[in-house]
Amino acid sequence: MGTELGKYKSCVSARSTNKEILKRSQDGGIVTQLFAYALEEGIIDGAIVAGPGDEPYRPRPFIATTVDELMSARGTKYNISPNVSWIKEATRSYGLDKVGIVGTPCQMQAVRKGQLYPFGWRDVDDKIALAIGIFCMENFPYQSIKQLVEDHAGVSMQSVKKMDIGKGKFWVYTERGATVQLPLKVTHKYEQPGCHVCLDYVANLADVSTGSVGSPDGWSTVFVRTKNGDDIWGKAIAAGCFETKPIDQVKPGLELVSKLANEKISKNQKTVEARATFGVNKALRNPYIKP
Amino acid sequence: MSKVVEISPTTRHEGHTKLVMKVNDEGIIERGDWVSITPVRGIEKLALGKTMDQVPKISSRVCGICPIAHTLAGVEAMEGSIRCEIPRDAKLLRIVLQCANRLHSHALHNILTLPDMYLPGTDTKINPFSPEEPVRSVAKRIQKLREIGQTIGEISGGEAIHPSNPRVGGMFKACTPRAVQKMYDLAKEGLPLAIEHMEFMIAVLRNYQNRDWSEVGGKQIPIPKDLGYHDQGCMAAHPMYASTNLDENPGWDPERWTDVRPWDWYMGEVEISLADPSYPIGGTTPVGSKANPQMEACTGVPLYDGCPVEVGPRARLVTFKNFDEKGTIGQQIARQMEYPDCFYTIMKALEEYNPSGKVVADYIPQGDGSLGWAANEAPRGCDVHLAKVKDGRVQYYELLVPTTWNFPTCSRALTGAPWQLAEVIMRGYDPCVSCATHMIVVDDDKRIVAQKLIQ
Ligand SMILES: Cc1cc2nc3c(=O)[nH]c(=O)nc-3n(C[C@H](O)[C@H](O)[C@H](O)COP(=O)(O)OP(=O)(O)OC[C@H]3O[C@@H](n4cnc5c(N)ncnc54)[C@H](O)[C@@H]3O)c2cc1C
Ligand code: SF4
Repeated sequence: MGTELGKYKSCVSARSTNKEILKRSQDGGIVTQLFAYALEEGIIDGAIVAGPGDEPYRPRPFIATTVDELMSARGTKYNISPNVSWIKEATRSYGLDKVGIVGTPCQMQAVRKGQLYPFGWRDVDDKIALAIGIFCMENFPYQSIKQLVEDHAGVSMQSVKKMDIGKGKFWVYTERGATVQLPLKVTHKYEQPGCHVCLDYVANLADVSTGSVGSPDGWSTVFVRTKNGDDIWGKAIAAGCFETKPIDQVKPGLELVSKLANEKISKNQKTVEARATFGVNKALRNPYIKP
Repeated sequence: MSKVVEISPTTRHEGHTKLVMKVNDEGIIERGDWVSITPVRGIEKLALGKTMDQVPKISSRVCGICPIAHTLAGVEAMEGSIRCEIPRDAKLLRIVLQCANRLHSHALHNILTLPDMYLPGTDTKINPFSPEEPVRSVAKRIQKLREIGQTIGEISGGEAIHPSNPRVGGMFKACTPRAVQKMYDLAKEGLPLAIEHMEFMIAVLRNYQNRDWSEVGGKQIPIPKDLGYHDQGCMAAHPMYASTNLDENPGWDPERWTDVRPWDWYMGEVEISLADPSYPIGGTTPVGSKANPQMEACTGVPLYDGCPVEVGPRARLVTFKNFDEKGTIGQQIARQMEYPDCFYTIMKALEEYNPSGKVVADYIPQGDGSLGWAANEAPRGCDVHLAKVKDGRVQYYELLVPTTWNFPTCSRALTGAPWQLAEVIMRGYDPCVSCATHMIVVDDDKRIVAQKLIQ
């Protein structure tokens, strides 16, 4: 394929140099560190992140305008967080001029679409200052995650310290030190169906995208994609925000990222194609082609 | 012998209207009818049975220049009916939104009206699209004022066109300290521009007032000293914002309002007997065509104390600030004079505003069908919405919008002017005809006597 990783200027393995950030970040703390730097430098005046919600691990998107608020949003919540829903409000009652946003590949697509085709997005397009994408294989509704954690892993949601999908397993770590792992095949039926037509793994449309795959534990794989992303990343490196290693010197490296990206895209491409002949002489809609 | 001339459509205002005028041998208007020919959309009828939350969002769509007025009047008529007092900080945000919209609206009207005017001391009319100075800087200043108005409106109201923030009971969102600072900075930037612009506009208008003639379609048309004078009264509910039935001393009284049908007010069928193909651009209606203002008018004719009234900036200044100029230039001057006050009011409201204050009432009653009304001072004048809400649903809804009040008044004000300046008189009212086109007509006993159904 060759296009599975999108366009990018550079790719490294990195982690934040800030120990506080790393304490609770999902991987190398790239998202939190980069936003914190951009906030302190005035590159953004706030960022839309997935903060804690009403129930454990149910994300609630909000507009963070302080580093403390960014810290409260660290870590992956494996269920839907409608981050884009705040983007217009950020430019309204919040009065932001330079908005940061983090999100899954589909959310980066929404941001870019809104910038090019601002349907009901008056005066938003030019205020998006930094879009950070996170890799994403699939997502889950909250009910699914609850069922996986409570029923399959037998852990109460309150006691979860971290969840992670990696090395072919769904991992649940508890505050008291226990680890439970589930084979991914158990999780499949709980996936959000909309994810099965998604053709983007590494957030191709973000300024900077990051994920865990390809880098060792505690480190992140980072793609620097746009001119804007390159500019901010370069300054953050110069300011000493990150430790980096060339991606070809870490294991498993880009090869695994490519492999997983290809797997996602070809599997989902089949689903997209199957929709064309879903009914008898009838198709289901394909959002990638004209109606 | 009088002849009939018709300008259709009229231009450089919002919506779709025409002027049917009986003129004497000198072309001076003896009787003029200015009528809306904008199709009726029937907002009031379709509101019935809908929720009180939804209806103001629909009436906002009556007009995209002054959606703020219709949203706020709609929301406050509902609040008036259910007797809901909103928190102070919500009210302050609404005031900021109101002023921001007035700024942008007046600035937009400058663009529409300047082409009638002359660069002072010259015989050159102003083309706001000209790349040449001094007009270029004026156009840029107008656009800057509009941008500032729309941005402040967007922040306080959620959206500059069809504001999303107002809701029955207050506002959906409070503004953060950063947002307040941003609005304040914009207001500070705008104020000197507004003053400079007001002075420029007034100089241009005074210059027109002192001229003897204006060129229209290649002819020199004499400008009467009493251009646009009329003997009708003025009506205004508040100098800046609004009054509702919840006020201790309401600025408007539903008892004093009646409606007459267009056919009681306008001329019947006439045949066009005078035409001028050189009237810019495209000429007037050809001789032999028929016009019937009674049947064609798409608005009711609201009266206050039994008479048509003028509403708008001049009416506000006359009512609250002893302004004593009349006619078209008086209206235009009054409009310009409102610029600085918009900024002063925004700044004062922001100084009083508390970003951590609550913006939604704790308790929102659902209504028992009582009458509520709100008279919002829209850019073009008093915009009255009346509503009855029961169990959260709208049972009765009526809009008396500024240009509807002004239609009959402006028609009378045409008398005595050369017909070629009729549009100049009309533009003095900053007409917004989509706003004006409404459908229910009631008689003295407030009974509905005519309904123009949606075709
Ligand atoms: C549904 C999902 C699936 C993922 N799948 C993969 C994968 O297959 N392979 C891979 O390498 N990486 C995947 N990731 C990304 C990975 O889990 C980390 O989010 C990423 O590496 C960033 O880590 P960090 O330490 O830099 O971020 P941190 O500094 O810990 O910050 C994480 C940021 O992600 C945001 N966030 C958390 N949950 C969500 C959510 N549900 N939706 C939107 N934003 C959210 C938070 O607001 C926070 O700002 C996935 C993430 C999600 C949310
Ligand atoms: S798999 Fe695709 S559609 Fe689903 S959450 Fe991830 S990016 Fe969005």
